[in-house]
Amino acid sequence: MHPAKIIMGLLLFSLWALPGPVWCMEVKSDVHRYRNYELSTGYYERYEVRPGLNRPLIMDETPTRQGILSHGPGKATVRIRTRLEDAHAGLLFYEGRTCVDCHRQQGTDNLHVVRNDLVCRQCHGGEPIASVNHYYSPLNKIRRHAYICAKCHQGGGISFASYLVHEPNPAMASTRETFPMLFYAFWAMIALAGGTLAIFLPHTVLWGLRELITGSKKNGGDEP
Amino acid sequence: MMIRRFTPVQRLFHLLLILTFMIQAATGFGRLYIETAWGKSLAGVFGGYTGCLAVHKWVGILMLVLFLLHIVYAVVQIARGKVRGRDSLLPRLSDVGEFLQHTAWIFGLARQPRFDRWTWWEKFDYWAVFWGMVILGGTGLILYDSVASSRVIFGWGINVALWVHRVEAILAILHVVLIHFFVAHLRRTHFPMDRAMFEGAVEVEDAQEQRPAWIERLRATGGLEGHAASGAPAAMRAVYFVLGYAVVVCGVVLVIYALINAPRVTW
Repeated sequence: MHPAKIIMGLLLFSLWALPGPVWCMEVKSDVHRYRNYELSTGYYERYEVRPGLNRPLIMDETPTRQGILSHGPGKATVRIRTRLEDAHAGLLFYEGRTCVDCHRQQGTDNLHVVRNDLVCRQCHGGEPIASVNHYYSPLNKIRRHAYICAKCHQGGGISFASYLVHEPNPAMASTRETFPMLFYAFWAMIALAGGTLAIFLPHTVLWGLRELITGSKKNGGDEP
Repeated sequence: MMIRRFTPVQRLFHLLLILTFMIQAATGFGRLYIETAWGKSLAGVFGGYTGCLAVHKWVGILMLVLFLLHIVYAVVQIARGKVRGRDSLLPRLSDVGEFLQHTAWIFGLARQPRFDRWTWWEKFDYWAVFWGMVILGGTGLILYDSVASSRVIFGWGINVALWVHRVEAILAILHVVLIHFFVAHLRRTHFPMDRAMFEGAVEVEDAQEQRPAWIERLRATGGLEGHAASGAPAAMRAVYFVLGYAVVVCGVVLVIYALINAPRVTW
């Protein structure tokens, strides 16, 4: 083989096999550092979860309620509370109420409360309770895992925080829109369980009655 | 004369399955019903809400290990040629025919199928354990350490896994208690209990009536004498009887209280 071809071949091989340039290694190590955080204790420094880390604009997919009169004298009556520093600002008689007076469903749709005796404030914090989508809320998606979940679930990362604490009823048609995987998994299992029992329970009952009537040959019964 | 139906290893697998299944049912219901007085009492037996989870996890791992051991055992048995043809528990097309004929017999429309060594419901029960172990074991492993699992799957997968685990577990408990226990213990021809799985042997006369094709096959091949076995002594039969009925009573009590308390639980 021509030496030039050998050299070109070795060069191409080195491009593939040898370590990449420094900037390339930096990217890789950055990824590994982040991964190490995700695999570590779950405790984060404030700067690691501050808003805007590597992102100029924090966007949220939560649909916002459009006021009927978004401009004009009546706009103050339509208040979107999903991004407030104090989600309950301006509510009348707020001091005399408990959370579940208004958030009745949220008081029962999660295992944290009904089984583990947690109270709302253990996750949602003290007064003023920020809206979950407020920029600095501990429950904001960008830091929920670190500030809330990891308090009990040590090592819980962003993926872990996507667990729905306020779980929708999996049987409801509305869940097909909000959490389709739960809806379809639930109904698939209900079909499996319901189908199995619908076939074999009546079959077993009728079988028992049949044997009760005829008995066995050994006991003088008749088996056609 | 008695002939062998189950080997000591197969009986040991079944005994361990009984014990682990009942513990899983009790600890699972203990946690599911912790909001009720019955659930608190049940969980109290295993050390309360957190104690139930610890027992449930360890016994769940034991079940998975037993399941893997059983697969290894089955593969070795097949490789050694111990189970072939009609001695195999593999489903056959004739099982569907026997199921239909058996159903027709229930309505008085046909004669009883001439069952061989394994009936269609015994094969169904055997493979149902595989199906249950895959679903319950798979979701159970996800739930075993949800933080670690969330590094492999999305965290919302834990919501899904919990519901799948829950529904499959309820199906398994209802099937075992309402159907398997009835078929093995309470129907007239087997009352008070089918001792075959405990003793390992059955009377030829009973087998001739319940599994005529198997006995005829053994007679035709001259293998009947080779299957001869001795029954358990009276004291052991008493132990089997007490153990069998203790499990039946525990299972029935669990299902009755679970049904009564179902409306009081936040699902």
